[in-house]
Amino acid sequence: MKTRLAILLLIIFLAFLPAFAGKYLLYVTIHILLLSIFSLGFNLLFGYTGLLSFGQAGFYAVGAYGCAKILLVYPSLLAGILGGVALAGVASLLLGFLCIRHTRIYFSMLTLSFGMMIFSLAWKWRDVTGGDDGLVGIPRAPLEVPGVFKINMAAMESYYYVVLGLSLLAIYLFLRIVRSPLGLTLQGIRDSETRAACVGVSVRKYRLLSFTIAGLYAGLAGTLLPPLESTVTPPVAHWSYSAEPVLATLLGGIYSFSGPIVGSVLFYLLKDIIVRFTEYWLICLGIIVVVLVMGFRGGVVSIFLKEGSRR
Amino acid sequence: METLAFQGLVGLSVAMYLWLLAAGLTIVFGVLGVLNFAHGSLFMLGAYFAFTFYGLWGVNFWLAIALSLVSVAVVGYLMERFFLRHIYNQDHAYQLLLTFGFILILDDAVKIVWGGVAKIPAMPSFFEGTVSVVGRPFPVYNLFIIGAGVFVAILVWLLFEKTWWGKMVRASASDREMAGAIGINISTLFTGVFAFGAILAALGGALGTPVRVVAPGIGAAMIIQAFIITVIGGLGNLKGAFVGALIVGTLSAYGILLFPVFELFLIFLIMAVVLMIKPQGLFGS
Amino acid sequence: MKEIIRTEGLAKYFGKMAAVHEVTLTLQEGLFTSVIGPNGAGKTTLINLLSGYLLPDRGKVLFQGSEITRLGPDKRVRMGISRSFQVMNIFPRMTVFQNILLPVLSRLNKTSSAFSSLLSQKEAVGEAERILVEVWLKDEKDFPAGELSHGDQRLLELGIAVASNPQVCFLDEPSSGMNPIERIKVLELVKKLAAERKTTFIIVEHDMDIVFSLSDWIVVMNRGEILAEGRPDEIRANREVREIYLGEEV
Repeated sequence: MKTRLAILLLIIFLAFLPAFAGKYLLYVTIHILLLSIFSLGFNLLFGYTGLLSFGQAGFYAVGAYGCAKILLVYPSLLAGILGGVALAGVASLLLGFLCIRHTRIYFSMLTLSFGMMIFSLAWKWRDVTGGDDGLVGIPRAPLEVPGVFKINMAAMESYYYVVLGLSLLAIYLFLRIVRSPLGLTLQGIRDSETRAACVGVSVRKYRLLSFTIAGLYAGLAGTLLPPLESTVTPPVAHWSYSAEPVLATLLGGIYSFSGPIVGSVLFYLLKDIIVRFTEYWLICLGIIVVVLVMGFRGGVVSIFLKEGSRR
Repeated sequence: METLAFQGLVGLSVAMYLWLLAAGLTIVFGVLGVLNFAHGSLFMLGAYFAFTFYGLWGVNFWLAIALSLVSVAVVGYLMERFFLRHIYNQDHAYQLLLTFGFILILDDAVKIVWGGVAKIPAMPSFFEGTVSVVGRPFPVYNLFIIGAGVFVAILVWLLFEKTWWGKMVRASASDREMAGAIGINISTLFTGVFAFGAILAALGGALGTPVRVVAPGIGAAMIIQAFIITVIGGLGNLKGAFVGALIVGTLSAYGILLFPVFELFLIFLIMAVVLMIKPQGLFGS
Repeated sequence: MKEIIRTEGLAKYFGKMAAVHEVTLTLQEGLFTSVIGPNGAGKTTLINLLSGYLLPDRGKVLFQGSEITRLGPDKRVRMGISRSFQVMNIFPRMTVFQNILLPVLSRLNKTSSAFSSLLSQKEAVGEAERILVEVWLKDEKDFPAGELSHGDQRLLELGIAVASNPQVCFLDEPSSGMNPIERIKVLELVKKLAAERKTTFIIVEHDMDIVFSLSDWIVVMNRGEILAEGRPDEIRANREVREIYLGEEV
C-alpha cells in the first residue's frame, strides 16, 4: 500500500511539474524518462533473462534515426514514433536471431560488435545518415491523427506530456510483462538455462523474445530524442552510449523492477553534481561501478529494500 | 598491383599492434577465463608511459620501452590482485562490468595526469627515414614493427611451449583443479599471467608511440578489433590470435583503400560470420 | 507390459573413450527401474542421452515407439519425459513456489502469456500448490529457492521434475550428497511419488538400500555397456554382478 501511494504521489508530482519547473528542469526530466525506458528494456535482458548486452545503443539509434528520417519528410509525431519503434523492433529481431544462439561472453561481444556496426553505418553513410554531422533540422512535429485531432508540440511542456504519457505506458506494460508467465520464464532461463530447457522451455525462442522487447524499448527511447533535440548524431549508437543503461541499472539495482528507473534518476543527479566539481566525471562513474560490482550487486534499491529481488 | 602490395605491407604493420593487443587478451581469457574489457586501456597506458619516459624525459628509447612495460605490469598486478581475483568464480557479466569500470577510470585518469590533448612524440633517430617498396616510400619504423611483432610471436611461442613456466600455465589453463592439486600456486600463476598479458598490450602501445597518436581512447578504439581477432582465432589460442591479427590488419588496410565507407562494417561482418559458422574460432576446438 | 523407452545401439564417445557403448535397452512402462554400476560405468551419460541433454554419436532412442534421438530436452519434456539432476539444478533466485509453477505453466502452454499476472493463472497456481504439498515444501513456499537447506533443495529438485507431469522421469542419483537423515526423506518421497503417480521412474543410484527396496527392475552397467538386467532377486544372484560391483551380500 505504501508503495502504491508513493507511486501515485510521484505521478502527480510529475504531472504538475511544468507548473513550477523551468524549461531546463523539464528538459532534464525528459532525458531521465528516456534513460528509464532505455534501461528498463536493457534490464529485461540482463536482470530478468541473464544476458548482458553492450549494444543496446544500436537499437536506440535505429529508433532515433528512423524517427528523424520520417519526421523530415512527414512531420507527424505519431508516425515518427511508430515508425522508429517498428524499425528498431525489426532490427532487434534480426540481430537478436544472430546473437541469441551464443553463450554469455560471446553474446556480450556480439552485441557490442553489432552495436558498433550500426555506429559505423551512422558515422560513415553520409547519404542516409548525414555522416558525422548527423541529421539536423528535425521538427518537433505536432501530435496528430489526421481528421481527429492535432496538438502543437512547439512548447516544451506539450512535448513533456507526450513523453511522460508514453513513459508511464511503457513502464506499466513492463510491469505487466515481468509479472506474467513470460516474465517468470525469462527468470527461469536466467537462473538455469539447462533446467529451463528440462521443464519444457524453448530457451532460444524466449531469449529472442526478450531481446526484441529490449530493442523495442531502446527504440522507443530513441524515437523521443530527435523531436526534443532537433538533431541526431552518431554518438547515440556508440558503445559508450550503450553503457548508460548498463550503469543506470547497476546503480539502481539489477534484480528489481524499479532499479533502472531509480538508477536513471541517480545517474543524472550524479552527473549533475559531479560535473559541478570536476570535468572528470567518467572516472567517478568508473569508481562507482567498481564499488558496486565488488560490493553492492543489488544497487541502491537493495540498500533500501530488504529484498531487492522478486519484484 | 603495386598499390595492393604496398597496402598489404601497411596492413601487416598494423596487424602487429593488433597481435600484441590480442595476444594478451586471448592468453588471459584462455588461462583465467576472464575477458578483460580494459585490456585496451593497458595498451594506452603503455603508450603514455613510453611517451613520458622517451618523449618527455629523454630516456633512451629501448629503456623507455622497458620501463613502460614494468609500469603497466604493476597496474595489471593491482587490477588482478585486488579486484579481478575476487570475482573469478562468478558470472562473467560481473567481470565484464568490473573491467568496464576500469576503462572509465583509466581513460579519465590519463586525461588528468597527461591532459586530454593528443601527443605526437619524436621518432628515434635510427629509425628515421623511409625505404623504397615497390617504388613507394615505406617508413623504416614500420618495417621494425613488423620484425618486432614476428620476433615477439616466436618468443611467446617458445615461452609457452618450451619453458617450465609455460608448461605450468598451459596445465592450469586446461585443468585448474588438477594443477592446484599437484602443487602449482594457482593464485600467483594467475597474477603472473595477467601481468604478462598486460606487458604484451603495453608493448604494443609503447612501440607505437613514435608513429601513432598518443591520446585517450586509443585503447578503446582497438579493443573491439582485438575482440574480433580473438573470436576469429579462437579464445585462448595464440596461433589463432596471430593469424586473426594478420587477417584483420590487412583487411582493414585494404578496406580503407577499396571500401572506405564500410571497412569497419566489413570487419564486424567477418566476425559475425565466423561466430555463426565456427564459434570456437578458426583454430579453436 | 508396454515398452516406454527403447534404445538401439546407442553410443557416445568423448574423444576416444566410449562413455556409452552399443547400448540396446528396453524399459517397460510402470516398472520402477534402477540403473546401477561402478563409477564411470556410463550411467549418467545414458540418462543424459535419454533425456536429451546430450546427443548420441550412434544409435537411436525411441519413446513409445517414436524416434526422439535428436530432439532437444525441451521437446522431450513436452512429450512426457523429464529428469532431475545429480548436482542440484534449481532456479535459485525464484521462490520455491515459482520453481514449481514454471514447469506447470510450461506444461499448460502458458509461458508466452505476457500480460496476465501469475496469480490469475488459476489452474497452474492450483496445481503448483498441490505439488508443493506433495513434496512437503508447502511451508517454504515463498522462500528464495537458493536459501533452502540442502535436503529441501533436493525435494524441490524432485518436485520440479514431476511438475511437468511426465510419463517417464529419470532421477540421477537423487540421494547424492545427502546425509543419512536427508537420505531417508528423499527415499520416502521417491517411494511416495512412485506409488501415487502414473509416472515410470528410472533412477540412477549408488545407495543399494534404495535400489533394492524400490526397484521392480534393475539394469547393471559397466564400462559403458549393459552387464546384466533383471528383477532384483535375479541381479542379487548374478555372479558377475556381484564380482564386479556388489562385493558382498546385500
